Parts: sequence; structure tokens; C-alpha cells
Amino acid sequence: MKQQTTPSAFPFDETDAAPSRRQFFERCGMGFGTLALAGLLQENGFAATGRPHFPGKAKHVIHVFLNGGMSQVDTFDPKPELTRRGGQMLPFDNLQTERKTGVALPSPFTFTQHGECGTPVSDLFPHLSKCVDDMAVIRSMYAELPNHEMSLMLMNTGDMRQVRPSFGSWLTWGMGSENQNLPGFVALCPGGYPVGGAGNWRSAFLPGVYQGTLVDTSKADPTQLITNIRNSRLSSDEQSRQYEFLKQLNAKHLEQRAGESAIEARIQSFEMAYRMQTEATDAFDLSQEPEHIHKLYGEGVQNRQLLLARRLIERGVRFVQTWHGDGQPWDSHSNIKNSHRAVANQCDQGLAALIIDLKQRGLLEETLILCTGEFGRTPSVEMEQNGSGASQGRDHNHWGFSLWLAGGGVKGGTVYGATDEFGFQAVENRVSVHDLHATMLHLLGMDHERLTYRYAGRDYRLTDLYGNVVHEIIA
Amino acid sequence: MRPARAFLPPATAFPMQRFILTFAALLLLCRLGISHAADVTWEQDVRPLLKTHCFHCHGEAGEKEAGLDLRLQKLLVKGGESGPAIVLGDVDGSLLLQRITAGEMPPDEDKLLSPADVEVIRKWVEGGAKVTEAEPDVVGDGPLFTSAERNYWAFRPVQRPEVPDTSAEQRSRTPIDALILSANENHPGFAEDANRAQLLRRASIDLTGLPPAPEMLERVLADESPDWWDSAVEELLASPHYGERWARHWLDVAGYADSEGYTDEDRVRPHAWRYRDYVIRSFENDKPFDVFIQEQLAGDELANWTGGDLSEQQIEQLTATGFLRMAPDGTASGGINATEARNQVVADTMQIVGSSLMGMTLHCAQCHDHRYDPIPQSDYYALRAVFEPALDWKNWKSPPQRQISLYTAADRATAKEIEAQAAAVEKERADKAEEFITRTLEEELLLIPEEQREATRTAYRTAAKERTPEQEALLKEHPSVASISVGSLYLYDRRRDERAAKIDAERKQKETRFIEETKQAELAKVPEEEREALQTALAAAQAQRTAERNELLAKYPGTQVTLATLAEFNPEAAAELEQDRKAAAELRSSKSADVLKEYQDKAAKTREQKPEEGFLRALQEPAGNIPQTFVFHRGDPEQPKDVVPPHDLSILESRGEIPENLDSLPTSGRRLAFARQLTDGTHPLLARVIVNRIWLNHFGRGIVSTPGDFGRLGDRPTHPELLDWLAAEFQSSGWSMKHMHRVIMKSTVYRQSSVASTAAMDADPDNLMYSRFPLRRMESETLRDALLAVTGKLNTKRFGAPIPVMEDSVGQIVLGQENLDGERKPVDKVDLNGEEFRRSIYVQVRRTRTFSMFETFDAPAMTPNCDFRSSSTVAPQSLFFMNSAAIVEFADFFAERLLSEAAEGTEQQVDRAWQLAYAARPNESERAQAVAFISTQQEVLAGQQSEWDEARVKREALSVFCQALLSSNRFLYVE
Repeated sequence: MKQQTTPSAFPFDETDAAPSRRQFFERCGMGFGTLALAGLLQENGFAATGRPHFPGKAKHVIHVFLNGGMSQVDTFDPKPELTRRGGQMLPFDNLQTERKTGVALPSPFTFTQHGECGTPVSDLFPHLSKCVDDMAVIRSMYAELPNHEMSLMLMNTGDMRQVRPSFGSWLTWGMGSENQNLPGFVALCPGGYPVGGAGNWRSAFLPGVYQGTLVDTSKADPTQLITNIRNSRLSSDEQSRQYEFLKQLNAKHLEQRAGESAIEARIQSFEMAYRMQTEATDAFDLSQEPEHIHKLYGEGVQNRQLLLARRLIERGVRFVQTWHGDGQPWDSHSNIKNSHRAVANQCDQGLAALIIDLKQRGLLEETLILCTGEFGRTPSVEMEQNGSGASQGRDHNHWGFSLWLAGGGVKGGTVYGATDEFGFQAVENRVSVHDLHATMLHLLGMDHERLTYRYAGRDYRLTDLYGNVVHEIIA
Repeated sequence: MRPARAFLPPATAFPMQRFILTFAALLLLCRLGISHAADVTWEQDVRPLLKTHCFHCHGEAGEKEAGLDLRLQKLLVKGGESGPAIVLGDVDGSLLLQRITAGEMPPDEDKLLSPADVEVIRKWVEGGAKVTEAEPDVVGDGPLFTSAERNYWAFRPVQRPEVPDTSAEQRSRTPIDALILSANENHPGFAEDANRAQLLRRASIDLTGLPPAPEMLERVLADESPDWWDSAVEELLASPHYGERWARHWLDVAGYADSEGYTDEDRVRPHAWRYRDYVIRSFENDKPFDVFIQEQLAGDELANWTGGDLSEQQIEQLTATGFLRMAPDGTASGGINATEARNQVVADTMQIVGSSLMGMTLHCAQCHDHRYDPIPQSDYYALRAVFEPALDWKNWKSPPQRQISLYTAADRATAKEIEAQAAAVEKERADKAEEFITRTLEEELLLIPEEQREATRTAYRTAAKERTPEQEALLKEHPSVASISVGSLYLYDRRRDERAAKIDAERKQKETRFIEETKQAELAKVPEEEREALQTALAAAQAQRTAERNELLAKYPGTQVTLATLAEFNPEAAAELEQDRKAAAELRSSKSADVLKEYQDKAAKTREQKPEEGFLRALQEPAGNIPQTFVFHRGDPEQPKDVVPPHDLSILESRGEIPENLDSLPTSGRRLAFARQLTDGTHPLLARVIVNRIWLNHFGRGIVSTPGDFGRLGDRPTHPELLDWLAAEFQSSGWSMKHMHRVIMKSTVYRQSSVASTAAMDADPDNLMYSRFPLRRMESETLRDALLAVTGKLNTKRFGAPIPVMEDSVGQIVLGQENLDGERKPVDKVDLNGEEFRRSIYVQVRRTRTFSMFETFDAPAMTPNCDFRSSSTVAPQSLFFMNSAAIVEFADFFAERLLSEAAEGTEQQVDRAWQLAYAARPNESERAQAVAFISTQQEVLAGQQSEWDEARVKREALSVFCQALLSSNRFLYVE
């Protein structure tokens, strides 16, 4: 990006009160672009492929999104005190969440220690609990608001309100894709959109090629998974001939326009789409998997899409996000016992299989798995409108929640941070969403303070002005 | 689920990106290397930092925690409860720096100052805490602006700059060219003029959103007049499609949608399209933009309608206020928090007004003072006070309650009369129903034991509540009586059918029996001596009957009685049969349900005769409603604080005054006063904001590249003099849009080619100096319109209700009328009768259901409006061109058009295709390549598809070619 010439002749300029830092650049005679890695890369609209800031173990990310919000006190954060004082008011005022909550609601699930590390996991995850030696559990996460949409945006983009690029977009922009025939960032969601829709995988001001490509996994036929992936009119030979002709047309048009990055980008995008037709249908074809792999992952759309995620990672896709479903399936405002049991059952086997399968293929070391909701749930019972608390459910809780990571250089068998004795609020070694992002980028070999993009006159980064790497969970 | 806005912590309610630490620190070192600590000043460097991080608790809106006010340097020296905040020249002794460095202040760790920021403050204190302006002795709780803020470029009056001289070789045609050339000393010069055909395609898509018609292209190419270009521009400006194109730009900033949004229910707005049509007509007629804005902000106050028939002008003015009704409005939906939902409508409306008319991020001052621009929180509410009498969150009207009927008194009278007729039909129906019930009741009673009949009748006729237990029991015993009702009559119709069938069956048996009996009786009457011969004759087959036998038979016709002659020989039997026939016919006739339905249909038909009742989606302020407007603490409507009177931004001082209640109007008149002072020709923001958008839509980038934010976080104008020149020109032209198009399009900067010399590309790679015409991809709507026009399918029908969108079976949003069965599964496709080929501006804008093709090509999300459209390049767009059913259909249409308009042969078809898609002629090699491609395609298809005739092969091969052309960059981009 070239430095912008100062409009010196303009009479108002002398008295103009532009931010002082802008003046630094002008006085120093240098623009941002000449300094920032991103700025350099941005010249042709693309980031360089595979140029991390420092060596990182992880090369890919699978983000399993338990959208709606997983309850920490029922999964990874056992609270005996909650059981002991079940039915009593908490000894402090209930923190403000979306709705009114009442007395302590003990977990209906049983916790047992697992693995060599002894990390406790509830009986909601009988399969996954066997993998704790590969997992790092963070129990001291916190977000900013008890609201789905905003917390989803925070988790995905680092910003609750502005339209900002998602983690997957930043990553594919920063690291490029290893497979030019598939999108670098794929979002898998059965049956529709999660709350917040495409905003969850938007590239915002980053170039559009880094936007997540949504695939509705409720369909099993690979040709139906991606809109317009199949040509219903031409044979592949005919299409190839047509494409050659189109390339001639476009090449002729480009001749005079060397340096018009938009035109070049579009030609590349067409090329990728053309190759996706075969590559994507192959990647999404689960019938190619042997019987024992299908058995390992288990039945159902959740398990199936986790297997899909592995196939995509194998093919070099940078970032795969799996959503539990449209809307907010984990949002157990009532009857936590049945509703959490139902959703956990749907993905437990697949999550364990994903770790085992990646490990046996030697891919776990380079694949970072993150499993989290947008926030947790209250240890106190959600009050019905009549104040009865008969819901047996839990409200949103951004004050404290748990998540786990595995692979990609994460220290297995770790439990980091703590909530208060009831599991309401993160109190020890608190980890913000920005910290999580910074840590994940670190594992991927990226300095979150250096991964910047210049837009509308400012340099942006995923972590805004915040974020500290949590070294304690890194192997 | 909606954001729970009431929870917003104040400091996060406006998270703005700041410069990145690393670079700021690096650059700080750089800066300090060339400057002295003494250069750091309060006004330029330190105050903006404290405003962003500290004022919220120390100075703003009366907040002075620990007695400390940080708004003036002298107040820092004075300090608070803990003593002075700074000691001049003594860094270590300054409490402010101690607390900040220790990370204690600000208390929220997410809001800490960066090390670079702290360094700035440190240097400032070290250098003696310089101020460059005299500070006032006291500050109240009101806003306090520095002269830098007051002199910020966007708040200074518009001044028409001197137009500099340029040399002849610079090819400056207009003041715009001169201003652009002189803005950069190193301007490499404009590219050469684009060729006529390219220029016409550019201008045509630019002004009308459609490629040039071939006739126009040929005419312009052949025009030998020196004014050819001016005439072409005039022709395009006069096109009915001009309004449709430029209205779209305004609808973006107004946030136009055909649905309410806010909740998942996303209710349809059935009447929003009248506002869309108003905007189209306004552009088409070049309505002076000041009037256009006045009408949109205060059309109801201009119309001053107090009842009675609406005049055309009043309808227009009221329709214009639809602008203030475009924000998402969920207040008619269920399951909402009413206060929050209403407040959100007002807040979103403010955001639309702020970004579209003022270029200010007003909404950032909703919860606290604007962190970057001189907009105190009280300003936000002072502006809100302009709108609250009409958008009164305490006396709210939901969207259906705000509808204004377009009925005239005469319409109403006609409707009333027709309603009376329909009611009369319904009365007849009720009478008839009662008649049927009585008949059914009597019929059913006949089927129960006689001794119970009277009591059962009485029980049935007794109102349910008043029945005795005995009556209840009786009815329970005879459910066929108890169940009689208007709604169940159809069931009794069926029972009557069954009864009739039974009577018929019995009658058939009777017929046989009666005939046999009659025969025997007649035979008995025959004299003994003839009886035997007669019986033989009767038994004999027809052929064996002799004349003698026939004579005998004729003598006793009764022995050969048939159904037809039964009455003659046995009148009683015939009568009985006739009675049965009548009984069955009676049962079958007059199906009560059918008869009642006829009445119902008749009533509905009658009602259809009423004049159609249209409604306006408008904002109308109730007379005499002057609510108090409060500053909401942290933006929370549950925490109202000070009352504020209406006022424009206080940085504009006295020119922003707005009377609380205009005596000349029954309404408050606040919006009218605001609209008038916005458009009085001296407001510093409005004209700049509008001309910047005009420029943006011609060149793809505004002079200020953040068209909705002229504040400090927005971008500075790249060509400030040009912006002011355009603003001045716009106002002096009588706010004429079309004048601005002419002025801009006559310039060399517009007429130049999009291809620049290598030298110019090197000197100006990002085209910041406009040394070539910027290449642009068509927007989603333009792309679809161009496809329709090129392929010959465009339906140019204008105005009216939108083309509906619906979800198809695979979840794509397509054009179509939703037609679902009881289980919400799609059934028969509804024919849109060519509506599906209308221009894109008429496609329904459903917030939760964006037409998939538009979404693929970056259609804006109206949340609440769209300041600036982004343009992405992603694989799904390419897949659309490669494989979608839509593009195949367009290619087929295109091929058919070529075959009919250039029937001579493939070469002619290629020429015509080039002309339609590219507004150009192919050169020799292009033509040869295209012809070769089509021929190969024909050969392959002929070989593969033996059942296709030659015409089919030609058409299909041409269509494959057409698809490639429509997918090419030369078509998709405007150059």
C-alpha cells in the first residue's frame, strides 16, 4: 500500500484535529503498509501461504461449536458445594444473567476421574472422557454478555457488535490454504443457520475468499452439500471445453489490465470453483470410509460431520467449524437433565473418535481441536415467570464457563483455572475470549499482535487491543 | 433472540478499533526521535486519550469520581480528593501517571491505556504539561469543545474553492478535473478517453443499471455531432430506468426492507413498497434534494393532514415519511420486551438518520459521550427529542396501528353500501341455515322412538347452559340429534344421500313385485278357454309368434304390463312407486351445505366489489403530543435522567436550535424545523454527505471513503476541495441530482479509460489520484438486471407490490409465491406471470430471507441500513455461473434471442452476442475462436444426442457459448 499524499493545499488542514497518531505517520513519512507484514501481503489482496511468525505445531483447526451454551457444572467443572447446598439460595447475590435465576441446582450427572491425569468428566461424555489425557480443560473462561448473538460474535470474531472477520477468516488469510481446490474455511451446520447466521463465518473487511463456506450436513449426498456444485447439463469433457473457452475470454480481458487485483482474484476464484466440483464431492463422500471408521464415529449427523471435518483437514482445509445445529441446540433453559443428555449423546462418540482417529493418522499434533459454546450456564436454577424454579434448567452464564482443547501442541491432561465454589464465576487464572484467541494463534505460529490488516485507515487485529497467551496449556 | 442491550457495560458499548500497540510504539520512538517532549500538547495529544479512556468517570455528564475532573489541564493540576493529578515537569510525582502505570486506572483492565499512550502522557508532563489555548475558568456539566474540535473539517462551513488553472495537455474539461489534477503534485495525468462504446456501457449501467440497448449503441456510435456525449448522457438521464437505478442507492442508506425484522418472525411489511416507489419517482423527476429530505423527515408536518380525503400531494408527503419507518420494528411481534423493542426502533431510526444525512455515528453517543467525536451523550438525546413526539416510546403505536388508509370519503361510502349488501346476503344465509336445521331435526326425530320425540326436540332447542340433566341425558342418548349444527349439516347431507339410495333400492324391488302381481291379476281375468293359448303365446319367443298369437296377446294387454303401463292396470302400485321416487329426489335435492356455501360465495363476491383499500406506511405525529425526552443513563430506557430539549449537534452552536413546539402546527413541528435547518444551505454536513455518495456511486469509492462516518474514526477526504466544490455546486444548482450527474460525467476523470499506462499504474497503483477509471464489478441487482436485459427477458413493468421470495425445497431463497400445504410442505408452483423477470429493485426485501442470488453477490444486510456495499470474490459466485439452474436458463434465453435476431449464421450470432453482452464488436480472432467453439460444440452434441434434430443441436451449442460469455469478466465488470 502506497503512502497517501497529504492534501496540503487544503486550508482547513492546519487546524484539523486528526488523531495525533495519524500525524506520526505523516511526519515520519511512512505509511503503515510499509511496516506491517499484513500490509505487504495485502498488496495483491492475498496473504502469503504458510508464513507463520514463528514455528507453531498446529496447522489446522477444528472448532466444535456447542452452540447454545454448554453447562460447565454438568460437564467439566464438578462442584460438590452445589450438590451440598442444592435447593438453597447461594451465599451471594446471583450474578445478573439473561433471566432471573434462583436457588442452587445440583448437577444431575455423576463425575468420575479419568485417564492418567485424573481429570474429572461427567457421565454425559462416556466416550470422550477416555481421551482426557489428550485434552486441556479450561475452567475459567468468561465472556462479556449473557446474550447468544453477541457472545457468538465475540467467540468467532473477537467483537460483539461490529462486523468483523471471524477466526477462520483471519487464519486462512494469515496462513493461506494448502488445498487450492477446496475453500480454506468450511463451516458445517446441519439443517440451517446457527443464531447470528453467516456473521459467524464472515470475512468482513478481509477479502471475500477468506469467508467460510457453509455446508448443510443434514444432507448426506455429497452433491447436495454445496449449492451449485454439480453441473446438470454438461459432461465433464464439455464443461472443460467451455471452461477453456471462458479462460480465453478472460485472458484476453486481463491482457491490458495487469495489476488489477480484483480481476486476477476473480480468475483464481473461478479456477478454485471449477476444481471444487470434483474435489469437494470427493471430500464429502463418506461412503469412501471403511466400515470400522464409521463404527468408530457412530451414527447420526453430529458424528458424521465430525468425520467430515477429519476428511477436510486431511485434504488441507485450514479451518473447519462444526455447529451442533441451527438455532441453539445446547440452550437448556429447562430440564437440564434431559436436554443436555440428548445433545451430549449426539456428539460424544464422534468427539472421542475424532481425537483417536486424528491421533492414529498422526494428524493430532498438527490439528488443534477447540470444543466450546459461546458461554456456560448458571449453577442456579432458572426461574419460571411465576418464580417457581420448576424449570430444572439453567440460564446463560458469561461470568464463567469451561471449554477444552486438544492436539496442535496443547498440553494434554491439563486443567487450567477455576470458578468459584458454585461454578458461577471464573475467579482463578481467568481466561478471556481474546486470551483464547491469542493462545490458539500462538499454537498456530502466529503472534496475535502482529496478525494485522489495514482497513479504512486503521490496522485491525483479531484480538483488538487485548489478549494474553495462556502458556500453561501449551505442551 | 435479541441483544439484551440493557446489560451493556458502558465502556464496551462502543468498541472501536484503535491503532495497534506494536506499531504505535514503534512509531512513537520514531516520532520522539524527531520531536521534543515539549511538542506534546494537551489539545492535540493528551486530551483525546483521556477523553477516550477516562472522561466517562472523571468529568463527563457530571461524573467526578474521587472529586477528579480531567477535562481541563488546570483541573488536572488542581486534582481531586487524593491531591493534584499532575505536577508540572515531575513525572514521578504525578499521581495520574502513577495510577495509570500501575495498571490501577482505568479500573477495567480491558480499557487500559497502551504503553505508547502512557508514554505520550509522560512526555507531556515532563515537558511542563503544555496547553496551546486559554482554558475557561470554570466548566459546567455541559459539553466542552476544544477549538480543534470546533474547527474539525466536517463542521466548518462549506466553502467553494478557487478552481486552479491547468495546462492544456492535462485535458481538464471541468472544475472537477482541475481540482483532481491539482490535488496531487505528482499526478500522472488522466488516462486517455475511453472509446465510445465502453463509455456508453459504463454510463448506461451507471445511470440506469442496464447495459445500453443495441439501438442506442448504434445511434451513439454513428453520432457525428460534437455534442454526442452530452446527448447520450441526457438520454440516459431521461430514461425511466434512471430512477430505478439511483433509488436503489438511496434505499440502501434508508435501510429499505419489506419486512420488520427484529425477531425471527420477521413479519412482512405489506405497504413499504409505496415508499420505494416514492423514492424512484423522486429521482426520476429530479425532485430537489432539499425537498426530498424535508418530505422524508417531516412529510406529515408538511402535509398537515387532519382527516378528510388525502390530496395527491399529501399522499406523496406522507409516503415520504416511510423513511423514518424503515428501521427494524418488532413491536407487533410476540415474546418481546416492549420497552426494549420500542427503544430499539427509535435508536435504529437515529442511526439511519445519523449515517444517511449527517455522516455521523450518532449511535455511538447513546450510552456515553462519543469517544472520538465532539458529540456528548446529551446531543444524542437532544436529537432524539426531535423524533420522540412521533416515535414516542411511552405512547407507542405498532406498525399496524400506524397504517394510514388511502380510502376517500366516497370510497368509504361505497364500501359501506357494499358491506350492507353482503351483510344482507349473510342474513339470508343465516335464515336458510335455520331452515335446514329445522328440517334435519325433524327428519332425525322421526328415527327415534315416538314417545321421546317431543322431549328431545325441546332439549335440542334449549340453550346448552339451561338444559336439565334429563335433557342432557336425552341428547346423549340421541347423538344424531344432538350433533346437528350449521357446521355439521354436510354430514346430514350424506345421511340423506344414503337414505335416498335405500329408498331407491327398495323401489327397484317393489317395481318387479308390482309388475308380477299385476300380470297375475290380469291373467286371472282372462276367460278360461283362452288362458292356455295366451300363456303359450306369452312364453313363445318373438320369432315364433304367429299372427294369431299376436292377436290374442293384443286382446289382453294387461298380461304384458311394464313399468311404463303400470299406472293403467294398477294405479295404486304406480302411485306408491312415484311417491318413493319423489321421496328419494327430495332427499337428494338441496344439499344444505352446498346451498349455504353459495350464499357465502355470494357474500364474498359482493365484498370484492369494494374499492381496493390501500395503506401508507408512514410516520404521523399525533397533534399536541409533546413528551419529555430524557438522557438515558448508559442508554438504558429504565434509567431516565435529565430532560433535554430538541437541538442539533451542540458543536454547531446556535445554528442547531430547534423550537420545542411550533405554534403554527398542531404537531410539535420539531422534525420540520430540523429538516429545514438541515437543508438551509449552511449546514456543514448534509450537502457534503450527499455529494460524497453521488461520487461514491459513480466511482465506487467516496471522496470520504467512509460515507457514513465523517468523524475522526472515519477517513479523511482524499480530495477535500473537490468535496466542497461539489457540495457548493449541488446547493447552488437547487439541489439537483441530475445536474450533479452531468457535471461529473462531462469530466475527463469520468470519461477516461479504465486502462492506464504502466507509468500511471506505478505512480498510482491504488488509483487514489483517479489516474484511470476504476473498474467495478456489477452489484447483485445490477448483475441480475443486466442478465435479464441481455437475454431479452426483462419485464419493464414498474412500481407496485414486490415480487415475492420464498424458500425452495433445498433451502435456497428463490422468487416465488409460497404455497404450502397443512404440513408446511410446498405444493403446486404458483405462476408469477412474468413478474419474475421484473427489475431487481422490485424483488421483496425480506430481512431473514435474502434472495440467494443477491446474497451470493454481496447484497447488503439492512442492519439497520447499509452505508457502503462491499464487493467480494468467492467461489460460490463462480459456482453460480458454472452450474446454477438460473444461469442455464439465462443462457437458453440468450441463445433463443440470438437465433431469432441473427438467424443468418453463427458469425452473425457471435457479433450480436458481443454487442449485447459487451457493447462491442469482436475482433477477427475473437470471432474465429467463438465460431470454432460453437462448431465443435455442435459436432459433439450431434454425435452424442442422436435423437436431437439440427435446430436443437444448434440451440444447445449456442447456449453453452452464451453461458461462457455471461460468466466472463468482461461482462461482469464495468470498465
